[in-house]
Amino acid sequence: MNITLYQIVLALVSFGIIFERLIKFFRKEKSQSFFKLATTIIVWVSILVLTLHPQLARTISLFLGLGENLNTLIFIGFIAVFLIIFKLLGIIENLESNITEIIRREALKDIISGKK
Amino acid sequence: MKTYPGIFLVIPVFNEEVIIQNVIHECRRAGFSQIIVVDDGSDDKTYMKVKQSNVILLRHILNRGKGAAIKTGMEAAKLLGAEIIVTLDGDGQHNPKDIDHMLAKIQKGYDVVLGSRLFRYKGMPFMKIVANYAGNFFTWLIYGVWVSDSQSGLRAYAKRAFTVIDTKHDRYAYDSEIIREIARHKLTYCEVPIEIRYTDYSTRKITKQTVLGGIKTLIRIIISS
Repeated sequence: MNITLYQIVLALVSFGIIFERLIKFFRKEKSQSFFKLATTIIVWVSILVLTLHPQLARTISLFLGLGENLNTLIFIGFIAVFLIIFKLLGIIENLESNITEIIRREALKDIISGKK
Repeated sequence: MKTYPGIFLVIPVFNEEVIIQNVIHECRRAGFSQIIVVDDGSDDKTYMKVKQSNVILLRHILNRGKGAAIKTGMEAAKLLGAEIIVTLDGDGQHNPKDIDHMLAKIQKGYDVVLGSRLFRYKGMPFMKIVANYAGNFFTWLIYGVWVSDSQSGLRAYAKRAFTVIDTKHDRYAYDSEIIREIARHKLTYCEVPIEIRYTDYSTRKITKQTVLGGIKTLIRIIISS
């Protein structure tokens, strides 16, 4: 099997991310959850497998009826972008909520300290 | 004149320099003395006008939205020992005389009383009626509770309600989120007809909810739920 540089790099990156996530999970770090671990493993193991066996992409695209490999990748890419956007929107909502909380505490400080 | 100890009015305002003093005076004439006005980062003279009116004035240094302002006002009311909290809009659309009927329902034992514009919608712009029904539909779809006016700003809360209600949305999604909290905490609620006063001033305000704004609100609700 001929392995190219991009396959090696992607494989190493995938291993690195999976390993890091596993460490964070077993250390029970804040904001880690089984769901996050499972999502990371599914996504990056898929990338790892497809990187090392690119012919699998053709098998999957034939199975899904999508034709060429490129169509499959584009389709998967769209789904990935969609998921990332949703995730980002969730992060933004969180940030907005934190900003509001800071502004609220500032607005209420006189009442909290008993001056009003 | 009746007075209402233990009852706090919470009025969120954003750029209402033209009308806010009238709103406050109307509330006073209706017998309410404990009025909390939350200036949500206005960039006109709203803050100065409210300061002259001798109410409890709170200020957001940045505009955070109606929902955020109401929540700040309710937190203040809780700290000041409120027994009942009534929220109303600061643009003069609500008639403080309607609050009496809402308080009567609270005294009968309801946790939340929702003012509904759609029981008497004479004078209400047609698009506003359509938008309200759309809001009601999506509120029911997402939260499973049907009310006739999910977006009304005139609402009364008994202590049991405002102690447990915990909202996250800052902007217009807040009104629907209250409906979710009612269902989540199994609060008893009812609706009463309220007068709604549409004037050139209130209908022309650019900060009002638009169709695009409504779609954004819906997306926010879906993401957070």
